[in-house]
Amino acid sequence: MSTTFLPCGVYHENYAQDHAWFQTNLIKGKMILLFVLLYLVVPWVADVYWISVMNQVGYTIMGALGVQLLIGYCGQLTLGHAAFIAVGAYTSTLLILEFPWPQFLLDVGLAYPISIFVAAIVAGIWSVLFGLPSARVKGFYLILTTMAAQFITVDFLITQYISQIGGRGQAFSLPAGTIKIGPWTIDSDVKVYYMILTFVVICIAGVANLVRSRVGRAWIAIRDNDISAEVMGINIVQYKLMAFFVAGFIGGIAGACWISNLAAISPEHFPWFWSLWLVGVILIGGVGSIHGTVFGALFMVVVMELLQMAVMPLSDAYPKLLMDFLFIKEAAFGLSICLFLLFEPNGLAYRWWQIKNYFNLWPFSY
Amino acid sequence: MDLFLMTITTGLMVGGIYALVALGWVLIYKCSGVLNLAMGEMTLIGAYTSLSFYTMGVPFLASLAISLIIGFILGILTERIFLDRLIGEPVLSVIMVTVGLSFFFKGIVELLWGTDTRVFNPPVFSMEPIKFGPIVVGQVYVWSFVAAMILLVVFVSFFKYTQWGLSMQATADDEMAALSVGVSARFVYAAAWAIAFMAAGVGGTLLGNINGLNISVGYLGLLVLPAVVLGGLNSIPGAIVGGLIIGVLQNLAGAYLDRYFPGGVKEIAPFVFMAIFLLFKPHGLWGWERIERV
Repeated sequence: MSTTFLPCGVYHENYAQDHAWFQTNLIKGKMILLFVLLYLVVPWVADVYWISVMNQVGYTIMGALGVQLLIGYCGQLTLGHAAFIAVGAYTSTLLILEFPWPQFLLDVGLAYPISIFVAAIVAGIWSVLFGLPSARVKGFYLILTTMAAQFITVDFLITQYISQIGGRGQAFSLPAGTIKIGPWTIDSDVKVYYMILTFVVICIAGVANLVRSRVGRAWIAIRDNDISAEVMGINIVQYKLMAFFVAGFIGGIAGACWISNLAAISPEHFPWFWSLWLVGVILIGGVGSIHGTVFGALFMVVVMELLQMAVMPLSDAYPKLLMDFLFIKEAAFGLSICLFLLFEPNGLAYRWWQIKNYFNLWPFSY
Repeated sequence: MDLFLMTITTGLMVGGIYALVALGWVLIYKCSGVLNLAMGEMTLIGAYTSLSFYTMGVPFLASLAISLIIGFILGILTERIFLDRLIGEPVLSVIMVTVGLSFFFKGIVELLWGTDTRVFNPPVFSMEPIKFGPIVVGQVYVWSFVAAMILLVVFVSFFKYTQWGLSMQATADDEMAALSVGVSARFVYAAAWAIAFMAAGVGGTLLGNINGLNISVGYLGLLVLPAVVLGGLNSIPGAIVGGLIIGVLQNLAGAYLDRYFPGGVKEIAPFVFMAIFLLFKPHGLWGWERIERV
């Protein structure tokens, strides 16, 4: 699914063109348009509500990107990714709140950027720790160990111990003005939007380049047939753990970014549901495709918001509906995963690929 | 010492219920190769159905029977609508369909019965505890254990001595060979789901009698997974032994480790144990060790 057919009469003359990110000028133009749209038009047009929805989409993309890397590119099934996002979020928060930062770092506003980096590293290492069983087991058994990661990390360690640090009770809140990047204090939704958007772009570019490299090829070989990969001389344990590290790293960035939006965290933000949700996102978007992750995140978040908007007007007539909406949402999520797997098993990315090729090859579609 | 004995007894009794649910799980896996993560929600559906009929005034055994029938129908429907098309799909798709099903069921259950804890009222089993020497156990536990054991015997003899059971075993063993001697694989898959749904319903009803029924009883479906892994994924005796072991282990952890690690030791102990166990014996106690060649 990775290569798009080029239109008639467009061909490459050297390797640089063949390896280029944007293969034709039209694609380059479209991408520039997309960036202009995302960076300039969206914050200008959208109101506060839709900006917050977009933030949620960005956070979902970052979270799902790690899952996509593990499941879609390395074939390591995981159902506990929320744990690593939680580790990232808590590391960043604790660093900001409890670490004795030197005054000059606080003055130039480096505390939060450094904490994001440290959070990403810690989450990556934590992820490797629970990826270790992947050396021995795979498939369904790996699902069980990653599930164990979720319960041990979030339901036990964080709920019982980490969230008691500093005597704040269950929920940590970050005082206003503590989240600063350089001279900018991240305090409005639009600023959070710019920050998350930038991190999403960096993460997507990073992962997309990684899967094009030698490492990515090794991952894909492991996904397709791990025994063959081992026979070909790939150190599969090392590469599997590397996949876990990168996935945890991105999860850590996602968690650390998200606290700038909430300005507070508690263990309830990282339930098992969230791990399953992320797997649902990549399934609906398309397994093994980077822009599938983006489509999946957009679909899941925006469709749920639209569902909410459709249900809300009815709530005057049926007041109980507001309370029941959470359950309807849950059932709808489950049903949509089932229906997608039954009727569109390749996800939205495949459909997008078909549409693109139709236009590229038109009028000679063969 | 008394505490130790009592913990073990309670663990065994609860473990009996886990074994019942684990049996349904192993059955589905053995016959159709489907990894069913919706087991917890299946227990909830069965339990809430029998609870509703019981509160309406139907006798307990009759309402249990009604929930068994409804479970049977739902099991066949689920298999026909969702799982039948997925034969031969990659393992991730099948697992995620069951995850999707679990959310769907859970949403429906919450929509229909709400999230408050409901109890069997009037209580089915009397509150008077039973004494075995120094060990004191609630009657609910004893009866649940007895019921679970009876059902386990019924299920196991069903597989050993009836035509249906034998054809299910044959399909589990070698699907191609079974097809060639005239066993309908689709029928077997449907029967496996129906039986699993029924076993889950009984397990849920018994657990609901112990502590009351709310959405967190569905967590049981996840507790069954360590039990199944312990016994080996495709072994029915393994599921029973695994269920008992997990029940005992969970109660021991709750009794002895709670003072060192306050909080939810009891909930996560089975998972920690399972994670460690997997590192040393990835195929469980009686699971098939699959040797892979390229």
